[in-house]
Amino acid sequence: MGQRIVVLHEKDNVGTAVDDIDVADILDYGMGERRGSVTAADRIPFGFKIALVDIANGEDIVKYGEVIGSASRSIRAGELVHTQNVEGGRGRGDIPASEGTRARRRTSGKE
Amino acid sequence: MSILGYTRSDGRVGIRNLVLILAIARGPHFVAAKICEQVRGTTYFVAGDEDGRDSDDRLTIARVHAGLGSNPNVGAVMIVCNSRTTGYPELRADVLASEIRKTGKPVEILDLEKCDGGLYGALGQGVRVARRLVVQISRQRRTSSDFGALTIGIKCGLSDATSGLAGNPVVGYAVDRLLDSGGTAFFSETTEVIGAEHILARRCHDDTVRRAFLDAVAKTEEAAKATGEDIRTINPIPANIEAGITTLEEKSLGAVAKSGHHTIQGVLRYAERPASTGLFFVDSWMSSSSLFLGYAASGAQLIIFQLGGGALHVDAALPSTSTGLVAPIFYATGNPRTSRNLKDEIDFDSSSIIEHGALLAEVGEQLVGILSDVASGTFTKAEALLYQDPVDVYLKGPQL
Repeated sequence: MGQRIVVLHEKDNVGTAVDDIDVADILDYGMGERRGSVTAADRIPFGFKIALVDIANGEDIVKYGEVIGSASRSIRAGELVHTQNVEGGRGRGDIPASEGTRARRRTSGKE
Repeated sequence: MSILGYTRSDGRVGIRNLVLILAIARGPHFVAAKICEQVRGTTYFVAGDEDGRDSDDRLTIARVHAGLGSNPNVGAVMIVCNSRTTGYPELRADVLASEIRKTGKPVEILDLEKCDGGLYGALGQGVRVARRLVVQISRQRRTSSDFGALTIGIKCGLSDATSGLAGNPVVGYAVDRLLDSGGTAFFSETTEVIGAEHILARRCHDDTVRRAFLDAVAKTEEAAKATGEDIRTINPIPANIEAGITTLEEKSLGAVAKSGHHTIQGVLRYAERPASTGLFFVDSWMSSSSLFLGYAASGAQLIIFQLGGGALHVDAALPSTSTGLVAPIFYATGNPRTSRNLKDEIDFDSSSIIEHGALLAEVGEQLVGILSDVASGTFTKAEALLYQDPVDVYLKGPQL
């Protein structure tokens, strides 16, 4: 086993655990020219995402170099990134179309 | 790369040699099921009920019947009906038989109304005819064909992080190799391209295809919004979220990798047959109870079901067994834990990409080799079971 988290694109602000990660584990990663390290603030199970940097409330969550949702509260580097702190932007029947929330920005599917 | 298959009189190549029993109304299902229990090398299709369906849905059912019968894995067909000349016009035995006969294969009609001895007389006659057909088609031999003779349908399921990291990219590699060889591939699951449609739109052959594709995605998203619910409570499904997938967009971005890199030649309706070779997007529901049946009716000889499976903790039953009916299902995974937990079920494991940093091209070539073996006659693990899960034709209209 090489790296314990995988970062798929240089623009990504989350990495994916390919091992079960414990609190305080130090995780090195590389993607293209980018090299970094992050300390886990939560348990990150295999297949789950970790914040590589601090992410502000409302900021895009980027994986594969693409937007996968937005932060529903501020997220610190090393935290688990999942449904408790991320909301999706698409297929939101629960949000009226007139409401100008951040989720609405991406309903056209354009970047 | 070549395969050994059954070249049919229409030039298409079968990778299996089955007699299909098509029960085209609910009445004859009993007869079709019992014939299949008695005669080796047969399979049958249960369409559900066409009564009270609008013409659009009845045409979908008709496409499934005619498409399954025309699939090159089928060497001969027996249609079982209550009466060959009654019923909805699209679903009459005569109409379906003449459509399937365009392929040049033998098509028999077992008309219950015309059989002496009622239902049980029909059963005896059906067994007799099915035995004759099975012996007749068994005389055909496998001969060498190009890998590009294949049409493969692709789906990913129980998505987790490994789907986007390893499983789907490896399948995408094999799809690229198939298309390089002049073959055909289908991918689908319209809900699960939401959030990644801008990437696929760039790969559409022209503006017409692009409009058809984006229109299909937009309609599905509108249907999702019309529920009044956050799609995340519907899809990603709970098993995806338990495995670490957070949003539909994330699931979609991992899912589209299975389609490789080739140009998308067109958008097909469920069970529609393509007019050319190449890569096609099928506008369909994602369920494996439905999609594989549609793929087989569209002409796929083989189906790849790429599993994440991160939420499976034991040697669980797979979500779908033989729902391609005439097209075998090949199970792949990129998740090392799924591969270990489901070793009796998984046909191909690409988890060395995650565990050992194996190269995509290297693992992808292994997959191409194994697919050509399966196309040449090697059974998939699921195919070794006689059991077949229930199937579900993808219908959209009201029941009236």
